Amino acid sequence: MTEALLALWDGAFGSSYAIWSATLVRSAPLLLLGLGVALAFRAGVLNIGAEGQFLMGAISATAIAQSMGGTVPSIVMIPVMALVGALAGASWAGIAAWLRQRFGVLEVISTIMLNFIALASISWMVRGPLQEPTRIYPQSAEIPGPAQWPFLIPGQRLHLGFVIGLLACGIAWVVLTRTAIGFRIRAVGASPSAATSAGGIAVAGTVLRVFLVSGACAGLAGAAEVGGVTWALYEGISPGYGYTAIAVALLARLHPGWIIVSAIFFGALEAGASAMQRDAGIPSVVVQVIVALVILGVLAGSQRRVIAGAATLGAEGRR
Amino acid sequence: MSSRLTSWYVFGFINIAILSLVACSGEKRPNADASAFRVALLTPGPISDQAWNATAYQGLERMRDSLGASISHIQTKTPAEFEENFRQYGAKGFDLVIGHGFEFQDAARRVGPQFPQTLFATTGGEGAGPNVVALSFAFDEPSYLAGMAAAAMTRTGVIGVIGGTELPPVKLGFEAFLAGARLVRPDIRLLTAYIGNWDDASAGKEQTLAQLSQKADVIYQNADAAGLGVFQAVRQAKGAWVIGSNADQNGLAPEVTLGSVLVDVPHAFLLLARQRQANTVQGPTLRFATASEVVRWVPNPTAPPLPEQVRAKMDSVRAEFAAGARPVLTPR
Repeated sequence: MTEALLALWDGAFGSSYAIWSATLVRSAPLLLLGLGVALAFRAGVLNIGAEGQFLMGAISATAIAQSMGGTVPSIVMIPVMALVGALAGASWAGIAAWLRQRFGVLEVISTIMLNFIALASISWMVRGPLQEPTRIYPQSAEIPGPAQWPFLIPGQRLHLGFVIGLLACGIAWVVLTRTAIGFRIRAVGASPSAATSAGGIAVAGTVLRVFLVSGACAGLAGAAEVGGVTWALYEGISPGYGYTAIAVALLARLHPGWIIVSAIFFGALEAGASAMQRDAGIPSVVVQVIVALVILGVLAGSQRRVIAGAATLGAEGRR
Repeated sequence: MSSRLTSWYVFGFINIAILSLVACSGEKRPNADASAFRVALLTPGPISDQAWNATAYQGLERMRDSLGASISHIQTKTPAEFEENFRQYGAKGFDLVIGHGFEFQDAARRVGPQFPQTLFATTGGEGAGPNVVALSFAFDEPSYLAGMAAAAMTRTGVIGVIGGTELPPVKLGFEAFLAGARLVRPDIRLLTAYIGNWDDASAGKEQTLAQLSQKADVIYQNADAAGLGVFQAVRQAKGAWVIGSNADQNGLAPEVTLGSVLVDVPHAFLLLARQRQANTVQGPTLRFATASEVVRWVPNPTAPPLPEQVRAKMDSVRAEFAAGARPVLTPR
């Protein structure tokens, strides 16, 4: 029994490989996705379409990397991929934002529907326009060398996307807590009517901008996954990162700083879960149950603090 | 105060649940003996699927039972996980690591050169280098024989194929099926449909009903769990036949099943493991064809017998396959 829990720990933090090539690599997309979800939720936008925005980012980053070819240097290629990925994610979120503002379509519904469209798009892309040259396998060709994002530590798989995620969380933290824009976002999220009447805040514009930024974070995560990890587009590129991201954001209580902790926690859990199957021989279904119970346990544990500190948290801890 | 107490209870309960689950899960201690022959299997889905992944796991168990191998299995979803787990097994010095699907090929290619003492094999895909090999099943050979049988049985001259998604081996099997059918009956018409997934049995049933309404009366399915819908639909129709694939599916609906195109994955894994032990693996592609008995056309014993001359023809074609004397399809 201890062997199983040891395997969980070893798989997540037991060696330098586990930390730098398993846990943190899995945390990288969760950082940006969790941040995107948290920002949207802060403004009262229930964007559960991070999965679809992630996939659109991955598709676009692959497409631009393939079309620019191997002659463009990395210094140009990587920012372009990141930008295109973010733009794609933002536009995908923009559809839901437009539907909400023009027709009053609830974003909970539109974003989840857009997830399915994104999933179908990726299936089509890897069998159509982006399929590898031999046209046998449903996947794209490998992106050219300059489009492969640099590793941070030689011999380990941790890539540039993780740093971008950390930076984004830091920036979001400053913006949310120290700037007028951040105050507007929080005010709109707390009460749109109060924000309009008492604060004179343009709610629609704020919601739209936050929605787009949220989508951009997810799209950037998709570009980083293609550039940093897979180097090609596959149908199964995401195991549902966009949905895990909702748990990441909620566990962090929508706080950008805590997103870092929360994303690493989920990354560690997934890395450890693999090790439990691999090294302790526990069936994957049992591992999934254990993972779910660990998450519940942590939520219950953090809930105690929430209740104890509810009075002091005040408006900070929406949800 | 009471809510605080409640959350303590919840917290405690969850911890106990985790501990008891871990305790009950019956660890197999796969790495107990480091000197043993060690084999790892990566599957893209759950081994409880009674199809693709289940047969791979049976292969893993067969290696344990027949060769005394120490085994490890992991279910993986994403390309990132494929690579991570290949590396982990390589670092632990496993002798043989099998990724069960063509989708593992890129990860194997990237990891292989760093762990030359480990043999990385993918089911499907393409091998690269001395220790990165691909297993290829000559699925087309028994499919060709199935096509001959179908052409002998059809009364309308229309036959159908129904696949899960348009994957290379599935498509190849269907092309061979048509070629075999044309050998027996040159004017045959083929209807082709893909369900779009591998698990929606009701969608499989719908596609089958559509083909039956277009007068197809022999349908060859290759759609895993979704294919069960094909059996259902054919069972309800009158005078139509179904052909199973991958596993021996003759028992699913014996009264309407003509036979099955069998891929004996466990047998292939065993052959692979023996080759690895003897260090006789010849990459980059290990082809398992009729000669190795890994792929076979298995007629349903309770189905009515085929005409004598068709059976004789099938036997001679099979013998040519076994001797490697007959390419199924003209190379494109």
